[in-house]
Amino acid sequence: MTELSRLLLRPWRDSAFRILALALLVASLALTSVVLLRAELDARFTARGAEMLGGDLVLDGSRAPEAAQREIFSTLMHSELIKFQSVVVHNGQVLLVSVKAVDQHWPLLGEVLLSDQRFGGLQTSVQHGPAAGEVWVADQLLDRIGLQIGDALPLGQSNLTISAMLVREPDQGGGFYSMNPRVLMNRADLDNTGILAPGSRYGYDIAMLTDNPKAITGQLTPTLRPDQEIENVDDTLNRSMGPLKQLTLWVSLGVMLITVLCGAAIYLTTGLRVARRATLAALLRTFGASRQTIIRRLLGHELLAVLPVVIIGIGCGGLIAVSAGNALGWEGALAAGPSEWLLVLLGPLTLFAAFALPRMSALAAVPALQVLNRQGDQSLRRSGIELAAALIGPMAIAAILTGSVQDLLLVLLLLAALGVMLPALLWPLLLALDKRSKRWSVASRIAVRRLSRRRTTTLPLMAALTLAMAILALAGQSGTGLLSEWQRKLPANAPNHFILNLFAEDQPVLQEWQQRHDAIAKPLYPIVRGRLTLINDVPVREAVTKENDRAERALNRDLALTEESLLPESNLVRDGEWHGKRRGEVSVEAELADSLGLKTGDQLTFVTSRSELHATVTSIREVDWESFAPNFYFMFSPGAFVEQDATWLTSFWLPQGDGRRVAELMTALPHITLLDVNAILARAQGIVTQASQATAVLAGLLVSAALLVLVAALLATADQRRADQSLLRALGARQALLRKVNWLEFVALGLGAAFGATLIVLAAMAPLAILLFNGQLLWSWWQWLPLLTGIGVALLGGLAGRRIAAGYRPTV
Amino acid sequence: MGKTVSGPEGALTLLEAVTVNVKAGETVAITGPSGSGKSTLLGLLAGLDVPSSGEILLQDSAFSALDEDQRAARRGALCGFVFQSFHLVQDLTALENVMLPLELQGSRHAEPAARDWLGKVGLGARLGHFPGQLSGGEQQRVALARAFVVQPKLLFADEPTGSLDHANGEHIADLLFDMNRAAGTALVLVTHDPALAARCDRQLRLEAGRLHD
Repeated sequence: MTELSRLLLRPWRDSAFRILALALLVASLALTSVVLLRAELDARFTARGAEMLGGDLVLDGSRAPEAAQREIFSTLMHSELIKFQSVVVHNGQVLLVSVKAVDQHWPLLGEVLLSDQRFGGLQTSVQHGPAAGEVWVADQLLDRIGLQIGDALPLGQSNLTISAMLVREPDQGGGFYSMNPRVLMNRADLDNTGILAPGSRYGYDIAMLTDNPKAITGQLTPTLRPDQEIENVDDTLNRSMGPLKQLTLWVSLGVMLITVLCGAAIYLTTGLRVARRATLAALLRTFGASRQTIIRRLLGHELLAVLPVVIIGIGCGGLIAVSAGNALGWEGALAAGPSEWLLVLLGPLTLFAAFALPRMSALAAVPALQVLNRQGDQSLRRSGIELAAALIGPMAIAAILTGSVQDLLLVLLLLAALGVMLPALLWPLLLALDKRSKRWSVASRIAVRRLSRRRTTTLPLMAALTLAMAILALAGQSGTGLLSEWQRKLPANAPNHFILNLFAEDQPVLQEWQQRHDAIAKPLYPIVRGRLTLINDVPVREAVTKENDRAERALNRDLALTEESLLPESNLVRDGEWHGKRRGEVSVEAELADSLGLKTGDQLTFVTSRSELHATVTSIREVDWESFAPNFYFMFSPGAFVEQDATWLTSFWLPQGDGRRVAELMTALPHITLLDVNAILARAQGIVTQASQATAVLAGLLVSAALLVLVAALLATADQRRADQSLLRALGARQALLRKVNWLEFVALGLGAAFGATLIVLAAMAPLAILLFNGQLLWSWWQWLPLLTGIGVALLGGLAGRRIAAGYRPTV
Repeated sequence: MGKTVSGPEGALTLLEAVTVNVKAGETVAITGPSGSGKSTLLGLLAGLDVPSSGEILLQDSAFSALDEDQRAARRGALCGFVFQSFHLVQDLTALENVMLPLELQGSRHAEPAARDWLGKVGLGARLGHFPGQLSGGEQQRVALARAFVVQPKLLFADEPTGSLDHANGEHIADLLFDMNRAAGTALVLVTHDPALAARCDRQLRLEAGRLHD
């Protein structure tokens, strides 16, 4: 055996090292998989975000860019897009369409999905726009005005051939709620249509590719006209990554907690290892070894022995990341670069440095005199350094996990505060128990004294167990909370089709069709288009002084207004009272209300195609825009639309099956707009499935980490326990008494920790709710978990203690 | 009696055909070189272990044939121990350490008895001290009080002065023999110290697991 292999293998003979190594393995595995998956998600979502945006940067405007601006982006690969609304007239049918005229560079990123038939046609992906003289149109356009692929589409003064049906544009954004069907045309044909003339309203976008979006933004910003703005990938992602961001944050939080638990296990086992090696350190000092030699020999060798464990943990973490990628259908190599790989190596080493090294460094300070006069464990502790390292270490790991400490700061501060406060809280409790125990049975007295008289063992052990229980409960609670929230939003039968422009007389036809095809119908909402004109009888333009994007959008267009007596599930009243069936009242979406400065009691006036609508604001609603349900800025109380021209909006779930079912509906009701959101829904439901798998894996790792803490704790006290049992036996204690002492000790330990953990869970619910659940407190059975785990600890500890008791022979 | 254990190199005989008879109030020293089986013999006599062959009788009734719990109960009622490394429970005060054997027997008057015995060994003022706060000599005095508090018929002492300096060792030995005499307890003393062994009524010498008078 070589010297190196001897060095690597020797520590494994010590059970304490084996637990320490296992804790490091679990931590490395968890850290690695999260860092790699985060890198993967970042890379893929940045790519997807850029695709959705149409480039790395987009310069939006209402007319062509200035020459100075052209100079800035002329060297970059870019594409110029002109977007406008137009009207198509065919066979007496009039249809408003959204036209996008693209140049030869479009799309800069991603692919366009086309089909050669309205239903069930062959789909192809291309990386260019339509040729001159051709257009690609959305399915709704074909449905609504009765055209087919190959027909000519009259657009302005031109007739352009419909050469394909547009299934998906890469840069159509996350919204599926576009009211007007898309027409995609070649820019070369634009002038011939004669649609755009001086004074026409249109959008002129420059999409560009750049490696340095910040620099280009910096150059363009001073040149922006009032009508222009720059959109970047982050803006796009913020709109589309909601649940995934929550998921990655929760996973990071879970892994953070796993590493803290592993840190606790490492700390406990290191204590034992240090105690076992103190004599060796003293002997080395006796033989003339310098402190550096001792550090090199004891600490250096320890570090060397844990390195392979860390590398194996990283390997396993990498495998988990790859399998998760495969499950998500990702292709290609891992996106992690050298910096991520360095981080995954640094993470476990930081954990080791924070929880093991400060304790081990005490070995360098062991005096040679220890050989003759054995000091207590106290001389092997450096409480100040240990506490500081245990507080700073997790901060560094949080930074590694999330890229900044900010996201997890609240949780970290809580953990740090608990790390300091738990001993302070628990100790008086134990001392009180000690005092009370004088009148208790001998078994109870011995059990309580074992805990109360061994501060250096009991406090870290109790703190670690308390944290482990609290962490398990909080992670379980938040994980299942997130999952159930997503599952509630996205049940298996979430509506996968939306219908707009439905008339009252269409409803029996729709209902009959839905019943025949086992579709699950959702509520019908009457829609009246109207524009907000007066707030408390003051014209909106004067009433609203500070305009932002949302206010701007709300004021400059007709809004879809609805009336409803029931508050939708995805809505929550923030201020005021939901109107129910009272008349003349309106409920306003919270963010819009804030941006317009609306409050309950305000009088609003809307202008519709028929008349004016007046209502008093009686409630402000928080709306979950990520829910797959129709949501509205303004919801009136019933009766508001009596004299209005209302169409209806509804949604339904249609089981997977033949595309001809939808064709049949479109034939029966050709004027409706049918939106198929199956693809978007499937992607969102895929995320929920992955989330539940991630939750299960994390829960497994968390439980392992918590078990490691318990095993480490048992191991750390095993020698003392054996000595105690031996002595008690020699003094005449029966086996039953020893068992009872053991059992009572773990009952006190388990229930004490459960008590502390329950307090933590209750205290942590508020910050956790702010972090993950928009401030809503979650009450659940998870709050009982610490008590159940406490009973588990008592049982496990009692059984393990019995084994230890059974495994000894009394000696003198 | 004999004691054989199995080790990695086969069966190992620790004690062979040993016969010991200790009368009431008698003091017996067991001496011998390291590894001769002294501690093994003490462990067997005290019922901490059972012999592989032969039998141990305590007050003329079977002792080694009892099960572990029965032996523990008999030991608690009849025997006291003094160890080389004191073996005090570190979490208990001096008073609690001395009370412990009485408490294990279910006595309701453990505290006054323990106070009394600690007073006798000169530690009446240090009742609330933990072992870590006492010197080696003081710890051994607590151990002596703990051994005598149950008023044992038989006291086992394993190198009782082995961890102490000369003066403290002398003091502890004096206390041990004085208290032993006063209580009329039989004493089985394992020691390397010829002077200590010489203070006993009888000396038994163990060599390679065999007894020589």
